[in-house]
Amino acid sequence: MKYNGSFADNIIASRLRDCGPMDPERNAKAADEGGCGVTGFACSIPVAGRHIFEPSIRMHNRGNGKGGGIAAVGINPSRLGVSQDELDSHYMLHISLLEPSCLPTLRETFFDPYFDVAKEELLGHVPDHREIEGLEIKPPEVLRSFVRVKPAVLEKFIKETGLDGMDPRHAEDEFISRNSFRLNKQLYSSLGDKQAFVISHGRNVMILKIVGYAEHVVQYYQLEGLEAHVWIAHQRYPTRGRVWHPGGAHPFTGLNEALVHNGDFANYYATSEYLRQRGMEPLFMTDTEVSVMLFDLWNRVYGYPLEVIIEALAPTTELDFDLLPPETQRLYDSIQTTHVHASPDGPWFFIIARNIPETRTYQLIGITDTAMLRPQVFSLYDGDVQIGLVCSEKQAIDATLRSLAAEDPRFSPVADKYWNARGGSFDDGGAFMFSVQPGENGGRELVCQNKFGVPVPVTSRKPLDITKSVHKPEKHAADIDASLQEALEKGDAQRIFQYFRTHASWWDYNALRWAVSRIGRAASKSTKALPHAIDALTLLIDRRIPLGDKKNSALIRIVSDQLYEILRTLPRIAGGAQLGHFALVDADTRNQLRPPIAIETTLVVDAKDFVAEGDECDASLLSDAYKMGWKKFIVFDLRGQRFEGCGFGPKTEEIRIDLYGSSGDYVASGVDGMEIHIHGNAQDQIGQIMKKGTLVIHGDVGQCFLYGAKGGTTFVLGNAAGRPLINAAGRPRAVINGTALDFLAESFMAGDPLAGGGFVIVNGLTRDEDGNIVFLDRPYPGSNLFSLASGGALYIRDPHRKVVDEQLNGGEFRELSDADWDLIRPYLLENEGHFGIKLDDLLTVDGVKRTPREVYRKVEAVPLAVLRKIPETDDSVWVTAAASAAV
Amino acid sequence: MHYKNIWSEVPLREVIATPSRFRRGLGKYTVMVSDACDHCLKCVVVCPENVFGARGNKLEPPRDHLCLGIECSKKSNRCIANCPTAAIRVGVNPSIKALGDRRWTADLLMSTWYMAETGILPKNDLEYRVGGSQGGFDRLRFVFPKRPPKPDLDKNDIDTSITLNRRSDSREKIDIPIPVYGGGMSFGSISQVTMLSRIRAYAAWGSFCCTGEGGYPEILFPFDDHIITQVATGLFGVREETIQRVKIVEFKYAQGAKPGLGGHLLGDKVTPAVARIRETVPGSSLFSPFPFHSVYSVEDHKKHIDWIKAVNKRGLVSVKVSTPSDVDMVAVGSYYAGAHIVHLDGSYGGTGAAPDVAKKNIAMPVEYAIPKVHRFLVDEGVRDQICLIASGGARTAYDVAKAIALGADGVVTGTSDLVALECVRCHNCESGRGCARGIATTDLELVGLMDLEWGTRRIINMLSCWRDQLREILYRLGMSSVRELVGRTDVLAHLDYNSNVQDDDIRQAIY
Repeated sequence: MKYNGSFADNIIASRLRDCGPMDPERNAKAADEGGCGVTGFACSIPVAGRHIFEPSIRMHNRGNGKGGGIAAVGINPSRLGVSQDELDSHYMLHISLLEPSCLPTLRETFFDPYFDVAKEELLGHVPDHREIEGLEIKPPEVLRSFVRVKPAVLEKFIKETGLDGMDPRHAEDEFISRNSFRLNKQLYSSLGDKQAFVISHGRNVMILKIVGYAEHVVQYYQLEGLEAHVWIAHQRYPTRGRVWHPGGAHPFTGLNEALVHNGDFANYYATSEYLRQRGMEPLFMTDTEVSVMLFDLWNRVYGYPLEVIIEALAPTTELDFDLLPPETQRLYDSIQTTHVHASPDGPWFFIIARNIPETRTYQLIGITDTAMLRPQVFSLYDGDVQIGLVCSEKQAIDATLRSLAAEDPRFSPVADKYWNARGGSFDDGGAFMFSVQPGENGGRELVCQNKFGVPVPVTSRKPLDITKSVHKPEKHAADIDASLQEALEKGDAQRIFQYFRTHASWWDYNALRWAVSRIGRAASKSTKALPHAIDALTLLIDRRIPLGDKKNSALIRIVSDQLYEILRTLPRIAGGAQLGHFALVDADTRNQLRPPIAIETTLVVDAKDFVAEGDECDASLLSDAYKMGWKKFIVFDLRGQRFEGCGFGPKTEEIRIDLYGSSGDYVASGVDGMEIHIHGNAQDQIGQIMKKGTLVIHGDVGQCFLYGAKGGTTFVLGNAAGRPLINAAGRPRAVINGTALDFLAESFMAGDPLAGGGFVIVNGLTRDEDGNIVFLDRPYPGSNLFSLASGGALYIRDPHRKVVDEQLNGGEFRELSDADWDLIRPYLLENEGHFGIKLDDLLTVDGVKRTPREVYRKVEAVPLAVLRKIPETDDSVWVTAAASAAV
Repeated sequence: MHYKNIWSEVPLREVIATPSRFRRGLGKYTVMVSDACDHCLKCVVVCPENVFGARGNKLEPPRDHLCLGIECSKKSNRCIANCPTAAIRVGVNPSIKALGDRRWTADLLMSTWYMAETGILPKNDLEYRVGGSQGGFDRLRFVFPKRPPKPDLDKNDIDTSITLNRRSDSREKIDIPIPVYGGGMSFGSISQVTMLSRIRAYAAWGSFCCTGEGGYPEILFPFDDHIITQVATGLFGVREETIQRVKIVEFKYAQGAKPGLGGHLLGDKVTPAVARIRETVPGSSLFSPFPFHSVYSVEDHKKHIDWIKAVNKRGLVSVKVSTPSDVDMVAVGSYYAGAHIVHLDGSYGGTGAAPDVAKKNIAMPVEYAIPKVHRFLVDEGVRDQICLIASGGARTAYDVAKAIALGADGVVTGTSDLVALECVRCHNCESGRGCARGIATTDLELVGLMDLEWGTRRIINMLSCWRDQLREILYRLGMSSVRELVGRTDVLAHLDYNSNVQDDDIRQAIY
């Protein structure tokens, strides 16, 4: 869709004429958008609307039920009453009739003179909105209409606007967009009592929104069975409470796209002004509308390629800019110069679903801002079907996949890949798109690319067919049984793990599943074997092993299912007669919580049905149980529940908590002494103000890890997202085996690590599918490292000296001393114990073992003038006095 | 001095005269006795205010800050006329020209000192209600009916208490007997003696006082039930233990005196004691960032509040924000996120440590912000579910009453407490060692300038006088409770729009 410049000029000129003088007073923003919960997925096959349900419910705590919306792209026409051709060629208008009596006027003014209508209907809905629990406000009637512009009308429009020579389809797009604008202006924004507005008008794009939660949209308009390739949903958290109509809810549309947004701009006024100068007037007064207008302007009017649009939204800066190829630098420089005053400033994360009719491609795009201030997780599963997902939280992804897998065995509840985008970066550009394109033999295939169009590699391994029943594998059965039996008798979980490690690559899925089930069988038969079986399965979840042609995601699925099965058959807390080392409690029996009896040591919590926060949540149960005397906890099948480990108070050295599943935000925040293991990825704000204790994360960790931490020892197997250790003071000690997106150890104030202060070790590595260590090309790619730090140290594995001075702002490189190595070596050894990452491997560079000094570098804070030596003052008087007073 | 000195006890609320800790208190008038004095001590007998005193047969140096003024002294039955040797001269103290600023005028400083000393209003013509800023609360006046509408009201029965938890949740319902609690001033920015004096005084009054950002020193443990601990952007000294100790936890999102700026404590003030409480390194400058790095939106904010509620299952949550133009949205968002108290911090406050450029130029004046938020919450139908607290430049009982009439439930103070401790507003707070009065310092020598019990009594006395003034104001308006005053902007007049405003002085009525 390339236009030459004059078309853009003509379109803008005619829009400016059309809009007439704009009222600058109306620049005021009507609603301050909070953050929100956003989720979306794109799939190679059309999937039903009910699957956007689960993730929406899981993100209730990111919205407040005052605005929810969904969008679908690439819809299966069978339920729409039109043919595929009509769906592809016609504009699919959805008009929200806030005041249904306005319909005749609306038709007369905006339809009859211009459109040929192929089909028109009022959307069906449940008779009474009160039947849907929690839906308080009646959603509006929605008119759906499939239209084309009458040829004569279009011809006249082309002539008047000066678009001769332009692809008539693009001119028709522009006509539709202008007609909707006029409708919105006349029937929505200019009125005190709003009557109607266009929700969406693109081709094969549907948007619906209400005052309520997103899943209510699906329920109310009965979309459970409607199938589409791309779905997005949005839970809104508007701060203005009494919104009685859904005009401000997301998604918003440009033409063929739907955009949802989590965040808030600081430069709403400037951006609106930029749009105004180009003949575009915001009518709904939210950031989100403005965002999609920018996208539409750059996409449809200026004809920019997607990479350029993303650059205009999230400019590449600092070191990342320097690392771009020179020709890209020149291009980006001119984009930034031209559009930087419209580039949304502030925390934002966009998810866009769009239809590209020219190439019959349905696309899902996730774009993060340069500073990465909003949470975002991408993921991809590639099997018999392919699906790409992007959400605010990993748990929403897992909820979607679980919902799909429960219905269609071609899906898996565990994705192959989970990752974060690095905003405005030279490597991935902070954006990924999943394109559902026409594939071979009439089907469709999904391709995932980053901002620069570089495809994200997918594994070509065989997917697991869960529907096949497991039978005894003739070839391996005897060996498996003998080896597992021996290891379980000896109570040696490591040995079981090693056995899998050396043997699993030769097995097929059947043998693998059978072997795992044998562990389960042993656990169910012998209480002695039980803890070792749990340990062995845990190791299989935490670490990767060579699997031959099988997928790691499949192994995790098989092992988790087995582990949960074992845990769910443990004696129940309310059971009475049966006592063991473990006692199981779930949401239904939470009120029957009691102190441990006899040999009971471990409280096992089935987190599945617990709420995410509040007095009834599992984290609250844990701290109550601690007060009753429980010291060891296993929490499993987590679905985004938050705050585990919080509320226990000081001095909790004897406690250990193991978390399985999709753990939520704020885990281990404020802990003082306890040990927490997160098996799998962790989310945002983990370990905030941590004081003491051990935290082991067998995966990646989200935003603001260890914010304001004062101490404690933490180990992360994977990456940390933005801002790890920000504002940490005192003596926190962290080992991050992967890397961080950016802003690592900003405002670090942890004194001198050699004199008891804090530090962070970054190893800059990742693991391949078989669990082998792969060192990253750049151990730390971000442009900001140790910024404004006044204390503490960073030890980074950087044998090729890839980290440069430009990345430091307040820090400086130091040679690693013997004392430094003596300090960090025990932590690296402990790291080896937790993750199996060998110290020797860390010191090996390109096959040769090196000295620590050659491999690790130290970054310290530059001593500042304000750090002056001051005389000792004595506060012991008060401490003594306080102690005596407390007695 | 006849008070007990057990620092860990909550002191009694009673007023005990607590004179200046310096040899001569500063007053508006200066009384000079020349060498001609023959120590006849007639002046001691005729002075109604105890300006003159005798030690043995000798006249002491006059306590001239108690002097009622030139007119009084010239009356036939007063000191000058009755001095046989014409040794007494009374004039305006020239020092007042150098004292104070427009917000805290010399009159306001001295009247606050007087209240802190005596627990009553100054009897001379000191202006005790407003400053000279020509803006803010200084342009507002109360319009009292000619006669009290309910003359039968017993002033002692007038209720000045407010409820801090107005939500219908399972958390503690807390009432405080005065609509005032102490704002956050951290250990490190003020001395331990100052901190403890404030907290003990508010405890005596059954109210609360906030620790500020600097952690929770052990000395405060005896006063757990009267402390609000602050969770600020730097998270210094915040531990589960400190969050669990208290009944109210305050999130400091922004400070009205310096919105958009973080807190800062320069290296000089980070002594080992301060560093220990904040769990940081001595001598290292501490900066707290301007935002919470974990809160970039309202749903993050809800999560943040949920977290504190998970740690402290009984306590209330207060959200302190500055007053940007969309402060009403912020307040409503906080309500929906589960906060109990929304604390609007306007721009008039701030000690000398807040940079002037920030203090005077950013955010909405609090007298505009309060009604804006109040009305918005009323329109939303949630006003009776949340406690709205205002702060930022409430210096006097009149400011407190005005803020409430504008729509707040109560008020938070800070600087007035320091003035009660004889702060002279020299604006050297940030230098650490520079506080000439030993208030905002951590230097042990300077800290020694003030005694804990003295400091406590001074603030208790001031609050006592404020309560009496509030009762009198309410009486004049015919209200039996301060809760009736909330949002009654009709009892206020703004001097910009009303030229004919009656004097709202209540001094004569009280004494």
